[in-house]
Amino acid sequence: MTSDWGFAHDLDDISGQVAIAGVGEADHTKASGRTAAEIAGQAVERALADAGLEPGDVDGIMHVPMLADRFDAAAFRDHFGTSHEMWESDRGGGMVWAGTAPYEAAQALRDGKATCIVNAFAVAWATQRGSMVGGPGQSHAQELAKQNLEVPFGWFPQPVYFATIARRHMHQYGTTQEQLGAVAVTLRRHANLTPAAVMRDRPLSLEQYLASPTIVDPFRKEDCCLISDGGGAYVMTSADRARDLRSQPIDVAGVGLGSSRTGTYWAQQGAFCSTPQAFAAPGGFAMAGISPADVDVLACYDPFTIHSIMQVEDMGFCQKGDGGPFAEAGSLAFDSGVLPYNTHGGLLSHAYVLGIAHVVEVVRQLRGECGDRQVPDAEIGVYGGYTGPQASTLVLRKG
Amino acid sequence: MRDDFPLPDTDWEPAREFWAGAARHELLIPRCDTCAAYCWYPRPTCRQCKGESFTWTPMSGRATLFSWTVVRHAFLKQFADEVPYATGLAALDEDPSVRLATRLVDCDLSALTFEQPLEVAYRDLAFPGIERTVTAPFFRPR
Ligand SMILES: [Zn+2]
Repeated sequence: MTSDWGFAHDLDDISGQVAIAGVGEADHTKASGRTAAEIAGQAVERALADAGLEPGDVDGIMHVPMLADRFDAAAFRDHFGTSHEMWESDRGGGMVWAGTAPYEAAQALRDGKATCIVNAFAVAWATQRGSMVGGPGQSHAQELAKQNLEVPFGWFPQPVYFATIARRHMHQYGTTQEQLGAVAVTLRRHANLTPAAVMRDRPLSLEQYLASPTIVDPFRKEDCCLISDGGGAYVMTSADRARDLRSQPIDVAGVGLGSSRTGTYWAQQGAFCSTPQAFAAPGGFAMAGISPADVDVLACYDPFTIHSIMQVEDMGFCQKGDGGPFAEAGSLAFDSGVLPYNTHGGLLSHAYVLGIAHVVEVVRQLRGECGDRQVPDAEIGVYGGYTGPQASTLVLRKG
Repeated sequence: MRDDFPLPDTDWEPAREFWAGAARHELLIPRCDTCAAYCWYPRPTCRQCKGESFTWTPMSGRATLFSWTVVRHAFLKQFADEVPYATGLAALDEDPSVRLATRLVDCDLSALTFEQPLEVAYRDLAFPGIERTVTAPFFRPR
């Protein structure tokens, strides 16, 4: 496939300018009755405690550009009972932005707009599910070309798009159900080793996976992300200042960003079985001065099993089309010694909190705090962010 | 959301000609007047040449099956009576990079194959509780 279906964004080198000084996760649950602001507030409290900072120390807040429930400066002050001024940006939150927020933060730190910036994201989608059209498909149902040219034919919502992509991937590269299943089973095993994971007590074998009925061929419910209440946050400051804080700092070594030219119109995407990671990862790795072989732990935004396979390929961890056999060989397991991947269980088995917990997990792996699922001697970790139209690559390095 | 969701809004300007054509059993796709590229989904400027003028052009209605899925769970309640159904992407013979999201009908759901030759088959979109129907281009094996 020609490479003109998307492009890499030209980013300044921010390597070494920002460190992640604290991370926190809210409680991840099924429907909890909590609001997204309450959940985000809990995650931020825990991230600040982890960094050894007080709410008044935070002078910058980043939140999500597209969802209604944003934890902005007003929500922060409300939650913590402060009245201080804060720089704020809507170029943060989860998904692709959980990977690019440090890039925006680097600029704000450089320009003196803030010295200590929190990126927070939370959803209460398990609680809100009944009132949403097609669940997380709601924003797609509201997009007019999709509403008028896809939805009427039942080509909606995300499970349908990505099942169609998965089938084409199977046709084009020989990917099998068992290989999709290997991703689901590996991530479930990781969740079983993760106390905070929604599916911590629910083991899954390949036999159980294959016996589960398909809901949208070739996907079973085990191929699809959870719907959760939950969230996470991380604290960013200069690499120098981070050295003086409570927890071991993790340096931001590289950021890459790639875009598809066809946005959320997957039907028209030139490279149908690819993600914009093909454009994001090379830049992120180059900024960090690494190659895929240097990565000790990887976490990618994984709404469906096929996304794990496609992104591992598109980021260069195996040849395009070999993601299925790569997963089937066990390479994604935390103890494989090959490519420990979504070691918390990912969106499939940890919680559907849209990538923010992936960054938290990578930081904890690099600090060596992951207990039974710890990857030995992890020095370099990567988050692969994704929204569909865009992908990001965030390279983190033990400080 | 419109009261008659998930029917299309046939007055939505960018695709009005598409639905008007379907009502006459004609499959129309916008073609750039400058460089002759088909432009789908409709957009104000041509992706190839930035041209801004298009002519809705009749297609043969022949296509191949690019990919599809059989939907067994009704993600929208309006499709509860339809499952299981096959939906996917028909790549038009005139330009296979133009892929129409469509329903696959008059076929054995388990016998569909990649690159299978298709032809357009007009059907009325009808949903429970909505009086209006809209004629739409579905596809069937040929
Ligand atoms: Zn043109």
